[in-house]
Parts: sequence; C-alpha cells; structure tokens
Amino acid sequence: MTAAAIEARGLGKDFGTIRALEQLDLDVRAGEFFGLLGPNGAGKTTTVHLLATLLAPTRGTARVVGHDVVRDDLAVRRAIGLVFQETTLDRDLTVQENLRFAGRLWNLPGPLAVPRIEGLVRQFGLLERRDDPVRTLSGGMRRAADLARGMLHEPRVLFLDEPTAGLDPRTRRSLWELIGRLRQASGLTVFLTTHYVEEAEPCDRVAVMDHGRLVALGTPAELKRTTGVTSLEEVFLARTGHALGETGAG
Amino acid sequence: MRAVYGIVVRELVRFLRQRGRVLASIGRPFVWLIFAGAGYAAVFAGRNEIDYRVYMAPGLLGMVVMFGALLAALSTVTDRDAGVLRMVLVAPIRRGTIALGKALGATVLGTTQAVVVAALLLPLVHLRPSIAGALLAAVAVVLSSLAMGALGLALAASIRSLENFAGVMNFVVFPMLFLSGALYPVRHLGPVLRLVAYVNPLAYGVDLLKHALLGAWASAGYGGEMSSWLDIAALVGFAVVGLVAAAPLLAREGGVTRTAFRQRV
Ligand SMILES: Nc1ncnc2c1ncn2[C@@H]1O[C@H](COP(=O)(O)OP(=O)(O)O)[C@@H](O)[C@H]1O
Ligand SMILES: [Mg+2]
Repeated sequence: MTAAAIEARGLGKDFGTIRALEQLDLDVRAGEFFGLLGPNGAGKTTTVHLLATLLAPTRGTARVVGHDVVRDDLAVRRAIGLVFQETTLDRDLTVQENLRFAGRLWNLPGPLAVPRIEGLVRQFGLLERRDDPVRTLSGGMRRAADLARGMLHEPRVLFLDEPTAGLDPRTRRSLWELIGRLRQASGLTVFLTTHYVEEAEPCDRVAVMDHGRLVALGTPAELKRTTGVTSLEEVFLARTGHALGETGAG
Repeated sequence: MRAVYGIVVRELVRFLRQRGRVLASIGRPFVWLIFAGAGYAAVFAGRNEIDYRVYMAPGLLGMVVMFGALLAALSTVTDRDAGVLRMVLVAPIRRGTIALGKALGATVLGTTQAVVVAALLLPLVHLRPSIAGALLAAVAVVLSSLAMGALGLALAASIRSLENFAGVMNFVVFPMLFLSGALYPVRHLGPVLRLVAYVNPLAYGVDLLKHALLGAWASAGYGGEMSSWLDIAALVGFAVVGLVAAAPLLAREGGVTRTAFRQRV
C-alpha cells in the first residue's frame, strides 16, 4: 500500500491578526495530480509553504510522505521539490551555474549531478541558453529553469505555486506539456496551485479555496455534477457567492 | 559539507563577476593611505618613532577585511530580495549550515582581499613582517573575516529590505572603523568611546594585526594594546555569537521580504 503523499489535519496559519489559513484537512494520494484553486489571497501560497516546512504552523499538523513537517522538516524537504510563485534563481549566474549550485545544496555528488543537469537542460529546451545569465532569459525559459531546479533531486512530491502566472498562453501550454511528461515518466505527485480554472481542469482532484478555507473538494467532474453546473468557474461562484476573478481577501 | 561548499563557491563567482566591486575593494585602502595618511601624517609630524603610513598598515588591512567580509555577508539582503534565499531555505539543510556557508564565504572573500592588498601595501610602506608576524597576521585576517562575516550575516538576516541597507551601513561601518584603532590608538579615546571600542570586533582584529606587524614599534607604544589571546578569544566569540544569532533569523517568514509580500497583496 502506498502512503499518502500529503496529510493535513487542522492545519492553520495566522499572520498577526490575519487568518491566512483557517483549518485545513486534506489528503493527497501518492502519484495524484492535485490542484488547489483559489483567487489571490485565498491562502494557497501559505498552504504550500506550510507543507514545505518554510512556515511554522500556528495550529494543526501535516505530514508529507509520512514525515511530520515540524519534527522532521529535513526529511520533508529532502522528499519534495518546490517551484515558487516568483523565480528563485540567481539572475547573475548562468542556468548551468544555478543548477550546479542547487545540486550542491541538495547534496548531489558531481558525477550524479552533471549528467542529470545535462538531461534536464536538454529536456527543458535550455541547451543553447545554459551558459547565459538567467537575467537574459525570457519569462518562459526562466520558469523552465526554475522547474529544472525543482526536479534536479528527483523529488517524490512536486509543489508548483502558480507556475504559469504572468506567462503568455503559448508558453503556458508548453510548460504544461513539460509537467505532463514529468508526471508520466516518474509517477510523481504534483500539488499545483492556480487561479486559472483551465489549469485545474486536468487535475485528478481539485480543492477550491477561498479566504483561507476549503469550500469544495473532489474531481472536476464530481464538483460540477454535485453543484449542478458545467464549469469550475461556476462551481467557485456557487460555493463562495463571488466570482473567481475578484480578489478573495481584502 | 557539499552545501557549504556550494554557498561559498557562489559567493566567489558572484564577487569575481562584479569587476567594480573587486577594484573598489583593492583600491579603497590606497585612497585612505593617500588622503587620510597625508592628513594624519602632518598631525603626527615631529614624532619620528614611527612613520604614520606604517602605523596605518594594520588598520588598512583591517578595513579591507571589514568591507570585504561585511559586504559579502550583507549580500544576504539581496538574496532575500531576489528570492534566492528561498531556494536555499527549501533545500534539505539546516539553518545553521546556511549561516556557516554564508559566513565562510565572507571569510574567504575578506581574507583573499586582505592578502592581495597586503602584497601591494606592505612593500609600499616598507614594512617587512617576520615569518611569525606574517603567520599571526594571517590568523588575524581569517578570524576577523569570520567574525565580521558572522556578525554581518546576523545584521543582514535581520534587515527586511534594501532601503534599510544603506543606513545600517553608515551607522555600523564608520563608527566601527574609527573606534577600531585603525587610524589612532584606542587608548587616546575618552572612557565612553573606549568602552564602545571594546565591543567592536574590528578593534580586536586590528589589535591582533598590530601585534603581528608592528612588533618592532611596540616599545614606543604603537603595537597591540590588548593581549593577543584576548584578541583571538574575542574574535572567536563574536563569530559564534553572529552565527548563533543569524541561523534562526535567516528563515524568518520563509525568506519572503516585506517588499515582495507588499507587492502581492
Ligand atoms: N508573510 C505574511 N505576512 C502577513 N500576511 C501574509 C503573509 N503572507 C501571506 N499573508 C496574507 O495571508 C493571506 C493568504 O495569502 P497567500 O497564501 O499568499 O494567498 P495566495 O497564495 O492564495 O494568493 C493573504 O491575506 C495575505 O495577505
Ligand atoms: Mg500565492
């Protein structure tokens, strides 16, 4: 039997008086493609950062591939990859230098890291640009490099925090093809956050979040059926009383 | 530890790529030697126990270490701003390891710059240290770089935005320099300032450098003023305090800046 990739029980986070995440109960199965859909300020990034051990929970617990995010934070970080909402690459270093740096941070010996970097750079269409400073790359290429960085240590769970925000539709599509191929190749669990319904559509299951609270959870088909509507957009509207495009938190 | 090595290598590569920073770090002490040296030499004139330029040499090396290590450590502020710090924080390494890597990066940069400057400066002022003196000077440079790097890191980790950066630099760097004995002996200071000098890591570094380089002038009152062991112990102490303070500060708010956060809201 495969352990749950992510289990959250009553997980919550306050920033001063702001309740960014109320009380989250969530199970994500290993190998699942899971989407967290919600408007800006819903609490998606907070959720990801809690699961990735970057924030300490105010209440509740969470386990990622069986490791507690508070007590066993190193084991959690070893098992996950995280592509942040904004790029984390060093803009002054080249793509290759950034990946080498990441390889060392993840304790990959050179003989293991070098061929892996080579493979990722090739697969992600960065081969010709690998010796250029990241600063000179287009937004889409930078995102691809971020993704390569997140996959370098072959994580079991990959968190993608609004990976395509700010990219043009064509670049978004090619990035999605890339992510699709990664999933097929490795049985990777993907935890995606997004505020685009069309990106949540292909997910195995979708959690809809608003104001730090889950308002719906299920496969896209289930959600539409139980709500009696034909699109996830309408699911959101029916469950929250406002449209997804409007900012959730004030 | 591979992660520490990775962090140090990145600091080095970044430094060498910023040509302006390299030139400034090497040129700065010579500018001080010419301008401050000329002024103070005039004031010192008539006292011919020591050439003021020789007296300045340990202080100038201390200054190189200070700027080199401090600026390297303060790059943590830009790392936070640019998001790179988050890549480091999501890696499976402890916060203490990150602090150590950053501080060692600052140590390597501070030490390398001091060695390059020493190779140019000491012949220029006709200062020829003994072998033992040169070794002690090396110890002083490494320990001072480490102490300044670690304290600079704690400072950088507690700064949230680039705007605060310049102010902090002026508030920290110049008092530290003037109260270090780099330009005049600490014992000439009033009691209050002298007390401040005793919590100044650069003062111990410069003092140790004077032990190393000005031994010949010690009897005339221009050598180190405290014991070398006290200097060494103080520098190690500052390094430990800096590292211990920096580690938890680095991870605050998941390495997200106030500015980055403001933009999102
Ligand atoms: N570091 C922080 N300090 C204070 N408030 C924060 C911080 N990070 C997020 N918040 C607040 O928490 C709420 C959820 O934010 P976030 O998780 O970033 O939402 P999302 O990723 O869905 O846009 C928002 O109201 C936001 O203003
Ligand atoms: Mg977000």
